[in-house]
Amino acid sequence: MPPIDCEDQELLEGFLAETTELLEKLDDDLITLEKSSDDTELMNRIFRSIHTIKGASSFLGFDLLVKVAHKTEDVLNRLRKRELVVTPEIMDVILEATDLVKLLVADIKAGEIQERETEGTIAKLLPFLTENAGVAQPPAAGATPTEPVATAATEQPQPTPVVETSSAAPSTPPATASVPVPAPQPAANVAPKKIPAPPKPSDAKGDDLSDSSTVRVDVKRLDDLMNQVGELVLERNRMIQINQDLQQGDANRPDFQEEFGKLTKRMSFVTSELQMQVLKMRMIPVEKVFKKFPRIVRSMSRDLGKEVDLQIFGEETELDRSVVDEIGDPLIHLIRNAMDHGLESPDERMAAGKSRVGTLVLAAVHEGNQIIISIKDDGRGIDTERVGRKAVEKGLLSEDQLAAMSQREMFDLIFLPGFSTKEKATDLSGRGVGMDVVKTNIKKLNGLIEIKSEKGQGSEFILRLPLTLAIIQSLLVEVEGEVYSIPLSSVLETIRVDQRKFHMIGGQEVLKLRDMVLPLIRLQKVFNVQQRYERDDICYVVVVGAADKRMGLVVTRLVGQQEVAIKSLGNYLANIPGIAGSTILGDGRVTLIVDPVGMIEGNE
Amino acid sequence: MQDALVPIKVDAAHGELIQLVSFNLDQEEYGVDVLKVREIIRMPIVTRVPNTPNYVEGVINLRGKVIPIISMRKKFSLTEAENDKQTRIMVMDVEGELMGFIVDAVSEVIRISGSEIQPSPAVVSGGIDQECIAGVINQAERLLVLLKLEMMFSRDEKKFFTGM
Repeated sequence: MPPIDCEDQELLEGFLAETTELLEKLDDDLITLEKSSDDTELMNRIFRSIHTIKGASSFLGFDLLVKVAHKTEDVLNRLRKRELVVTPEIMDVILEATDLVKLLVADIKAGEIQERETEGTIAKLLPFLTENAGVAQPPAAGATPTEPVATAATEQPQPTPVVETSSAAPSTPPATASVPVPAPQPAANVAPKKIPAPPKPSDAKGDDLSDSSTVRVDVKRLDDLMNQVGELVLERNRMIQINQDLQQGDANRPDFQEEFGKLTKRMSFVTSELQMQVLKMRMIPVEKVFKKFPRIVRSMSRDLGKEVDLQIFGEETELDRSVVDEIGDPLIHLIRNAMDHGLESPDERMAAGKSRVGTLVLAAVHEGNQIIISIKDDGRGIDTERVGRKAVEKGLLSEDQLAAMSQREMFDLIFLPGFSTKEKATDLSGRGVGMDVVKTNIKKLNGLIEIKSEKGQGSEFILRLPLTLAIIQSLLVEVEGEVYSIPLSSVLETIRVDQRKFHMIGGQEVLKLRDMVLPLIRLQKVFNVQQRYERDDICYVVVVGAADKRMGLVVTRLVGQQEVAIKSLGNYLANIPGIAGSTILGDGRVTLIVDPVGMIEGNE
Repeated sequence: MQDALVPIKVDAAHGELIQLVSFNLDQEEYGVDVLKVREIIRMPIVTRVPNTPNYVEGVINLRGKVIPIISMRKKFSLTEAENDKQTRIMVMDVEGELMGFIVDAVSEVIRISGSEIQPSPAVVSGGIDQECIAGVINQAERLLVLLKLEMMFSRDEKKFFTGM
């Protein structure tokens, strides 16, 4: 195996960050290009991206990568010069080549250069170069017509912002040190071995490319932050001054109180500004996730022989990176689900009196401190009867249970692990894993999932997610003198009730709430809180929901709503059932954050 | 802490010098390596954490960081005592994690040479697990039990803490 001799870790990191970014954009651009092939600007941008990748990788000596990128570039060059016309076939090959490039970059990132089969993909590129052979002979890399771009490309890896590399350093394994390294005979090693073919776009490997350990921050935002910090320093000095005055007995001065009041106000203003700024820096547009979907939808629709019009709305909606990192997978599964199960084939659609082309709408929108992402198709909708039957067949529930189920509960069946309506597992679906993943991930994020579906009309999956995981709105409740905090994102409503209205069903306390039977959990019992008050019949029930489940937490009193920063309890107390973490209240006291999700699961 | 540091003659031949923080627990004196002790604080308000072993008193806010508080008395199954003016929390570094331990009183920092540490006799004090005793220091007037913090929690206890 040829070793990569990369002396300069920083250079390599710069290359990876740059290439990853380019590749992410490239996918999107390519799909757009297929739709609007006359866009010269777009064409040029695509060409430049792949050219930059080629230039940088040749500079660093990644020969396999150069080879693939080079051939792709040649094809793109012909497209650019209008010697070729954009057709789905060409796009297929170019996309395949892009995937291969991604795979190779992922290898470099992982620190293991593997021998990959590149010949196949390159061979597919070649026909597009040899037709009209005259013009097609590609010039050597250095002599490429776009000279200025070439220089820019080789230079790019160096000026990596320091912020980025330094923060990336800890997370990058001591990779390059131990990297198996390049040999003099690099290009020759493309033996026609049986080696994994380029990945499907939906393969996890491609997703890994997007790195979340580094952040690119707008310089303006950074400047704003510096400003705020400057103000904070001023206020601190002012505070020290006031404290000194106080020590010296000036506290009786008539304006002292006013001074202090003003200071407090300014402090709180600066702090909340600062909080906003930092929060904003952690925010990234959901576009980061959305932009890989056109690609996935395209390849799936070709595989499945379905015609789909994917519409994306609200991709500029920002949310915390911790959330963005987590929603990629669930969304892919939901899209696959919609493509595979939801949308019908063109013929079926015609027969049902719909247009040949199915519509898939992916939308993101802010609502309060939540983000709502919806995936909506106009396909056949969920056939609850069939779903119910399948669930019984698979032994996931009994006939009696099925009979007692509401429409809503039937929808929820599709989230059961191992559930699938497919007779046979295919590449795309049928193993009954996908929707289970969706549910688990959404729960992990403290999110809710809702299904709307009408047979023959289509279905809609609505995800409600918190904007950030670091600072949350919470409801403070009191349980026999102890204060606990419940994430507001899980709270659906609070009710003041008389305990005599509780019923017992099979040893489980429940409350009849409108048309729903709500299972209850007494926080006092699960947290072993000593009874402090005289037994009072009036109590409060906090209705919480996680994904598709609802439950009522019985508490003594509601204290109020507060924005709290989540603090971990450390390794030693990380796994207490029902407790998600802790937070510090205004008076400096620690309060535990209840984990409604875990509680609901624990109660199942 | 009013006692001055007790100087102890060091003989170079007797091995390296070790500094210990000594504290009291139910009539007995214990010592831990001074480098493990981050700070010593008075009892703040402790927030109880449900469903934990009885010796976990709860958590406190240590300047913005939430750390667990362990009662040494309960951990070693000694008789419980009311907190008084002498009661202190020793914030210590246990395998990279900060933890607070409630002790009856913290007395002083002492220096000993490594050779003064003797292996602990088969039976030392009542309930203390033998594993976490690194040795015994026998000086003219006093007997000091040297604790090994890494061994404070048995494997099972750690299992409980870090994931059941």
